[in-house]
Amino acid sequence: MDDLTLLGFGPDGWAPLLLKGCLLTLAVSAASMAIGTVLGVLLAWARLKGPRWLRRTALVYGVVLRGVPELLVILLLYFGLPSLILSLAETFGWDAPGLPPPFLVGSLSVGLVSAAYQAEIFRGGVGAIPKGQFEAARAMGFGDLLCFHRIVLPQVARVVLPALGNVWQFNLKDSALIAVTGLSELMRTSLVAAGSTRHPFLFFGVAMALYLVLTTLSSTAFHYGGRYSNRWNRG
Amino acid sequence: MGEHLTFIGSVTAQLVRAVPVTLLILAVSGVCATVLATGLTVLSVARSPLPRLIQRTWTFLFRGTPLILQIFMIYYGFAMVPWIRHGMLWAAFRDPVFCTCLAMTCCCSAYIAEIFRGALAAVPRGEIEAGRACGMTGFMLLRRVIAPSLIRIALPSYSNEIIMMTKSTSLASTITVLDITGVAQQVIAHSYRTLDVFCAAAALYLLINAGLSALLAALERRLDVDRAVPSISVPPVVEPLS
Amino acid sequence: MRRLSRAGIGFGLAVALPLSAAWGGAAGAEELPRAVVIGTEGAFPPWNITRPDGTLIGFEPDLLQILCQRANLRCQLVAQDWDGMIGALQAHKIDVIADALQITPARKAVLAFSLPYAITTGVFVTQKDSPLARMDNRGLVLDLDASPTPERQTQALAALREELRGKTLGVAISSTYDAFLDKYLADVITVKSYRTMGERDLDLLSGRIDLTLDDTTYLRPLLAAPDAQDLVLVGPELIGGELGAGEGFGLRKDDTALAERLNAAIRSAVEDGTVRRLSLKWFKADATPTLEAHPGAAAGRPQP
Repeated sequence: MDDLTLLGFGPDGWAPLLLKGCLLTLAVSAASMAIGTVLGVLLAWARLKGPRWLRRTALVYGVVLRGVPELLVILLLYFGLPSLILSLAETFGWDAPGLPPPFLVGSLSVGLVSAAYQAEIFRGGVGAIPKGQFEAARAMGFGDLLCFHRIVLPQVARVVLPALGNVWQFNLKDSALIAVTGLSELMRTSLVAAGSTRHPFLFFGVAMALYLVLTTLSSTAFHYGGRYSNRWNRG
Repeated sequence: MGEHLTFIGSVTAQLVRAVPVTLLILAVSGVCATVLATGLTVLSVARSPLPRLIQRTWTFLFRGTPLILQIFMIYYGFAMVPWIRHGMLWAAFRDPVFCTCLAMTCCCSAYIAEIFRGALAAVPRGEIEAGRACGMTGFMLLRRVIAPSLIRIALPSYSNEIIMMTKSTSLASTITVLDITGVAQQVIAHSYRTLDVFCAAAALYLLINAGLSALLAALERRLDVDRAVPSISVPPVVEPLS
Repeated sequence: MRRLSRAGIGFGLAVALPLSAAWGGAAGAEELPRAVVIGTEGAFPPWNITRPDGTLIGFEPDLLQILCQRANLRCQLVAQDWDGMIGALQAHKIDVIADALQITPARKAVLAFSLPYAITTGVFVTQKDSPLARMDNRGLVLDLDASPTPERQTQALAALREELRGKTLGVAISSTYDAFLDKYLADVITVKSYRTMGERDLDLLSGRIDLTLDDTTYLRPLLAAPDAQDLVLVGPELIGGELGAGEGFGLRKDDTALAERLNAAIRSAVEDGTVRRLSLKWFKADATPTLEAHPGAAAGRPQP
């Protein structure tokens, strides 16, 4: 079979599955980014304002998740989570719950790693705000929430956006590791296509091109996002 | 409990035997990537556009795609290219460790080159001008003025990249290499004790990374001119002007 | 016949839709059909294959369509990764596993099995220019439960060990063959595990591994592919013992009612030649099991 048939939209063509893989890659990356941001903010807060034991915990979390290979984290969650859930269910006498879907396991594992990096970024972002501003806010009678919304958020967003763009790129590439769990994202789809058609050069080449499109498009998006959040600073 | 500890002990022993494989991949690709990155950095400051284009394309290609895909491309994709499969190079490409090292060299050189490029731009202009004023040119200027500053500036990011590389070596396990992660998976396939095995493997990686971090931090302290106690006198420039 | 073809169309959509509309008419007046969710991998050709449009085809979807009708079951076929299959069965997400599941002693510990609906052998494949291409006992069906005679079996296994000594054998990870390899060969050969069969095949073609051991229904069609002309079938064909007593549906141990219904349907499909017809269509070989020979596989009751 020639290359164009294999890459086409016909009955033997892999184009629909590859495009679906692209969408799934984007979806997993976005989900893990969201998990990472929520958890990252919490971790940053724990490091900055939490009680001593929480500060320590957050610190250890960061060291471990940034020091262990992402692949290992994914494998641990993928193989370990089901048995953990089952043993929990047995201990507490629940009905056997369903297995966590691969999508959730995948985005959770990439998200947990992402959180460790994002926490550092947020911590740095908050650290970059002059202390005087917090004192001024308190003097004006701002509560914690108002202070976060009016003072912290706008400035941190501006400072951290380029760094978050980097994390996003890492998430996008780390999502390829989820292929080992069998989730049919772009990497897995190209691997299955390469194996079953025995045209690995063609399909890995196409997958590389598609990843380049995804990374280029998203870095462009973050570039414009950065310009938007910096709009007050241009003068 | 005792049986549990015995199991963890025997697993750890098995995993420790795989540490040399992980370190070998790290050492080979670390050295090669650094050398290649130096070359790419030189290309990036070339006057003619072609070398700069090569450096930019290299960076675009290897930073824009996942390393695991590059590894699969080199391992499975290249094996189907007739002149590699049936040529002299097959002896090398046949070996999954070589394929991992090659992919990691290409990929990490792109990241390290960007670090070097950024550091080069951050070398104070004044230092270079001072060097020139002292009559230094070309290689001597590079060796005496630019390189020391560049290394100091680049070292923190470079250390980070080395830690990233250590983690990336685990991808070798996806193409049948029995490194720490590979052995861990092999043990699990026979014992089904996921949590214990993976935690032992994670601890080993953390240990390796802690060791490397300590080593690189010591190097950083040594090179920190502001803190270092001057133990040797500054050598005078005695070479004749060329 | 027309009802069958309507059901066929419905079956194609089964991933998305329950088949109440298509098979409602098949229920008969006396008893309502029981709804059954069947999990299959959809990535194990020619047993079950996902077409690019998401529909499931293959030997098992074809056979199940007939079996469900005969057993008066309203079946819904869903794609499910192999890793989570047994967990999904125990969590009642699915009621039946249909994924070329060999009835092995190890699996009987956690699952109940239906009668076998097919029986297939494990075969070795190597490259034509490899020294292994001249391996002995080619075509001999080696039943690990002892046949043709225990002496012949011992002799053939000893020959196999000598021929494969020092070689590298590639298998798909956590395959049926792990237990066999561990018991008979692991100490003399290097076993390389691959996540997917596709990866293993690529390394077999490039010569990074000397040979592979896999199911005949997977390897024979591979050998027929135009780009696999360098490969050849060698050595004995393996069956029984650690390799299992044919392929059966995996069921929960307490679901005896379903097992009885499926077993009756399987028996009728084996006896009237339906299994033979479908296996010839999908495997290019007759994989009809001999049911009398496997009374132990009659599942439904809990295994001791």
